[in-house]
Amino acid sequence: MNKNYILPALVILTSFSLIIFSTVLLPNFIFKPSPSEFAVKYSPLEASGRKIYIREGCVNCHSQFVRPQDRDFGVHVQAGDYVYETPNLLGTIRTGPDLSNEGGKHPDAWHIAHFKNPRTTTPGSIMPPFSYLKDDEMKALVAYVQSLGKKRLVKYKRIYHPDELEKLLEKRNVNTNGSAEANAGRGIFQQNCATCHGTHGLGNGPNAIQIAKKPANFSRPFFKDYDDVTWYWRVSEGVPGTRMPQWGRLLTSKQIWYLVAYLKTLPRENEVYPKEYETLDPEKWVQQYKISADELNSQKPAMIIETKGPPPSTEGGH
Amino acid sequence: MIFSNEENSASRFFILSAVFWLVIGMTMGLTGAIEFTAPDMSSGIPQITFSRLRPTHINTVAFGWLSMANIGIALYIIPTLTRSKLFSDKFANFICVVWNLAILGGILCLTNGYTEGREYAELPVPIDVGVLICLLSLSFVVYMTAVNRTVKKLYVSLWYILGAFFWMPIVYFIGNRTFIRLDGLNDGIVNWFYGHNILGMWFTTLGVGIAYYMIPKLTGRPLWSHSLSMLGFWTIAFFYAPTGTHHILQSPVPEWLKALAVVFSVALVIPVITVLTNFFMTMKGNWWQLANNLPLRFVLTGAFFYLVTCLQGPFQATRSINWYLHFTQWVPGHAHAALLGAFTFFNFGAIYYIFPRVTGKQMYSVSLARMHYWFTLIGFFIFYTAFTIAGLVQSAGWHAGVPVSTWVVELQPYWIIRALGGGMMWFGNVLFFVNIFQTNRGVKPLDSPDVEPAMVPVPKN
Ligand code: HEC
Ligand code: HEC
Repeated sequence: MNKNYILPALVILTSFSLIIFSTVLLPNFIFKPSPSEFAVKYSPLEASGRKIYIREGCVNCHSQFVRPQDRDFGVHVQAGDYVYETPNLLGTIRTGPDLSNEGGKHPDAWHIAHFKNPRTTTPGSIMPPFSYLKDDEMKALVAYVQSLGKKRLVKYKRIYHPDELEKLLEKRNVNTNGSAEANAGRGIFQQNCATCHGTHGLGNGPNAIQIAKKPANFSRPFFKDYDDVTWYWRVSEGVPGTRMPQWGRLLTSKQIWYLVAYLKTLPRENEVYPKEYETLDPEKWVQQYKISADELNSQKPAMIIETKGPPPSTEGGH
Repeated sequence: MIFSNEENSASRFFILSAVFWLVIGMTMGLTGAIEFTAPDMSSGIPQITFSRLRPTHINTVAFGWLSMANIGIALYIIPTLTRSKLFSDKFANFICVVWNLAILGGILCLTNGYTEGREYAELPVPIDVGVLICLLSLSFVVYMTAVNRTVKKLYVSLWYILGAFFWMPIVYFIGNRTFIRLDGLNDGIVNWFYGHNILGMWFTTLGVGIAYYMIPKLTGRPLWSHSLSMLGFWTIAFFYAPTGTHHILQSPVPEWLKALAVVFSVALVIPVITVLTNFFMTMKGNWWQLANNLPLRFVLTGAFFYLVTCLQGPFQATRSINWYLHFTQWVPGHAHAALLGAFTFFNFGAIYYIFPRVTGKQMYSVSLARMHYWFTLIGFFIFYTAFTIAGLVQSAGWHAGVPVSTWVVELQPYWIIRALGGGMMWFGNVLFFVNIFQTNRGVKPLDSPDVEPAMVPVPKN
């Protein structure tokens, strides 16, 4: 054999094994984070949801780590949070938002509507529709997404932990299907919410123009799927990362139940989606506000009641 | 053809398969790009949902097109440089069949949701095993050819090619070792060691090796400096491997690994400068040849894009710039500049030169080849610019705290432009496909042969 290339071959071998040692083996010997308080051990349902997340390739658009410079994505992550995350889903591109603290941001019904067709909840979204997921797969995926950052949420000054929501019903003392209650809620809505959500809940109140993430438009069909608890939770918890306040800190629980009764009555058969919604032209904004109100009236909503007299309950009101 | 032992038949088989997968892979990429402008297009069809198409596209173009084309070209270059026959054409042909089956299986698995979920290492285990066996057997063939050589000195291209065939099986094995379970972040570290080194130790080494062969061959001038090329080789070998962590620079992986990755990424400027100095100095006084030498034009365009990506790369890897650009479309733009702009263009040039030689037939059409060049080049410019600007808009959005659902709407025009650029490239490469397959069939050339000197086959002796 020619001796000429024995030396180079040796050099290649040693240099390459050194490099592999230092970047592949060494980190695995000396970097062994122990599970942090936030590391989530997935339940069987969540674990199967994670498999679906992997199968559908969500990692190709969503990352799962909050960087120091990120806003609105909640508590920052640490090495110990990832101990149970194999295969890793860190992700290297964010075509959509980071999902590491996604759990508890939206109700299940929202996620299901969003996965089936993201355009129903977020107009203009480019997330592909995952309408082909079977019901049980969808349930698992939602459970997984809700588990993301579940433990970090506690640190996030939450009022309710998503797991505790069902208990709310026990303490409810308002009939959320009554028209009197809805009427009471309407008054509260006009006073507190209309500035952003508009008088008819179309998300086009005068303040909406200045906020980047627009207030919810309650005429969207997916709101049909919200149950009472979901409504209650959404209103009282606010929407993290947007200007939607945590009303649970400002209103009594009774007032929120009245709001729920009212929000449930808003019509959503035909979605009224203001076309000029995304523009920043104030003139158009005002115009469009009128148009949609007309449109709305022509829909004959089930329950727009003239406010006469005090709300039905003596404890209610504000 | 499949089991023939004819000289160069393996090279021919690899190149033909590569060109086929190129068109398939680009079709997938284009579909994905269109889905960004019309996201409901895939409604209800899991197989063409963007998130499944993207890994399939990556694996098809990386393993189907680029790897196979590189191998095909290397299988021609190695015997010419060693002045010996390929160790076994029959065996190499057989490997090619297996490789094609692996790619086909990979596409079927990935589109149907059988994936490992690690970026660039998505292929499921049985396919991984197939690819690894192919890589090892190819290394065997290549090394045996080199051992049996009749010239003493190893030209620099051979260094690169032999290096690549040594590193790649190792890197591939490390990247796809699913039987060793690693915890979350460690899994990420190893994932990106692999993800980056498949570029550094396989595509770059083979691509640059091919360009080192093509430029002197096409211009007819000797390489400017042999020692500079060796410096480039050794620095690539040393500096590439630890850089992988720069893909997860702001995740909570250990700081020392990040520091290592940044330092080595910046150091990569050295091999790039040596390689390009060498290319451009070899061209000194020969630039006029670009006017009528189409393969040379391809290779040098590739060299130009290599310059662009490799200046981008080290900058992006520094912490402050990564802080701004990471997670945006800028990065896929960069990746396309490397794999499509640089290495694919090297391969186009090399295929136009080599294919007539391995088939012994004249190129079917020089004008189709010229159209291929211009469609791909202009399409690529449009595509790359759209990616880059979209990335800048996106990062501005992140840092101004604008919610995703708002800037997603702002990016609409760039997605459309990107799809248009992609469509042009796709069309150009369909022409390429037609051209290569007609040549292979031995259809009479359309154009007069003496227009493009480098495309005329050498007379057989
Ligand atoms: C084409 C890239 C893409 C893919 C693939 C994708 N998404 Fe999205 N995703 C987006 C974009 C863009 C948004 C932001 C707009 C919106 O809310 O729809 C988003 C938003 C989301 C949100 C809402 C975040 C929030 O708080 O507003 C969730 C949850 C989500 N995606 C989960 C998933 C899951 C789970 C998958 C895989 C089944 C997935 N995504 C696949 C692009 C994508
Ligand atoms: C400062 C403006 C503002 C005010 C005032 C406001 N909201 Fe909101 N609201 C928002 C924004 C912004 C969102 C986020 C929309 C989104 O996530 O797409 C939101 C979201 C919501 C949602 C969640 C919708 C969903 O998608 O699940 C509900 C419910 C809601 N608001 C109810 C109310 C009620 C009831 C009030 C009055 C008590 C109120 N909001 C007052 C801005 C406001």
